Amino acid sequence: MKSKIINMVERLKDKEDRMLESLFASESIADNGFSQKVVSRVRRRIWIQRLSLPIAFVVGGAIAVKPLSQFVAAMSKMFVFIPQSFSSRIESVPFDRLPPVSSIFIAATLVMVFLLVSRLLED
Amino acid sequence: MHGLEDNELVSRVISQQDTAAFGELVRRHQSQIRNFLRKLTREHALADDLAQDCFLHAWDKIHTFTGKGSFIGWMLKVAYTTFLQSKRKSSRYGEVLEQVGGESIADGSSSTVESDEITDLDRFLAVLTEEERAVMILSYACGLSHREIGDAAKLPVGTVKSIIYRGKEKIRESFEIEDHQYG
Repeated sequence: MKSKIINMVERLKDKEDRMLESLFASESIADNGFSQKVVSRVRRRIWIQRLSLPIAFVVGGAIAVKPLSQFVAAMSKMFVFIPQSFSSRIESVPFDRLPPVSSIFIAATLVMVFLLVSRLLED
Repeated sequence: MHGLEDNELVSRVISQQDTAAFGELVRRHQSQIRNFLRKLTREHALADDLAQDCFLHAWDKIHTFTGKGSFIGWMLKVAYTTFLQSKRKSSRYGEVLEQVGGESIADGSSSTVESDEITDLDRFLAVLTEEERAVMILSYACGLSHREIGDAAKLPVGTVKSIIYRGKEKIRESFEIEDHQYG
């Protein structure tokens, strides 16, 4: 309201003002699903944000678990304060049963592609 | 949701990430934002894409809305920033404007790219610089005050006033208005 009053004071309308107003006059645009489209994009964005962190943790963890365990085993041989029983337990873990790093990468890529395709389809 | 003021809806969006409240804000203001961008770009499809991006930026930045001015004033600022960012990224907008400008010069009149009809508005917009165009649209199409325009376009109020004055001079030259007076 205040803004409208200021506007009226600012503009003591002359011929150019009236012409400009008629030039710029336009009909209101019907929504036709526009707001629904925006809201679904917002919801998808929230969903992706919520999902991306856990996925990154799982993929990163799966990739890092084998080299990390080897690193811990190597360190335990170098430093006496790490108990031998702990290092022997780590060595006995069947890491060969884990999928290879390349498979994990392919799975992660597939997840990313799925997310991108679903986004494109919605767009 | 329909009975709530804009500021109350904004509070809900900020405090609860309420997408329904945000949807109501979009529904209320989409027409003005799309109209602003359509006039700025002269291409409906491009403008509607930009309007969607604009609302997504608004979702991300809504916590920066202090509630001092009107929500639509703030939204128009976001829309103008989105337009400038997209223009920097893409040459599509430049091509559209060149097309409009070229047609205007060739015919002595102008057009909406969408319909291939040359309108007085296109003819007028073609003689304005980008900054003048934005200020004139915010003033005459969106009805913002000089202060709100200054805020949206990041310009001092004095500059806004002089741009509007220049715009009026140009419209007088373009449309040969003889007896004029300035308020």
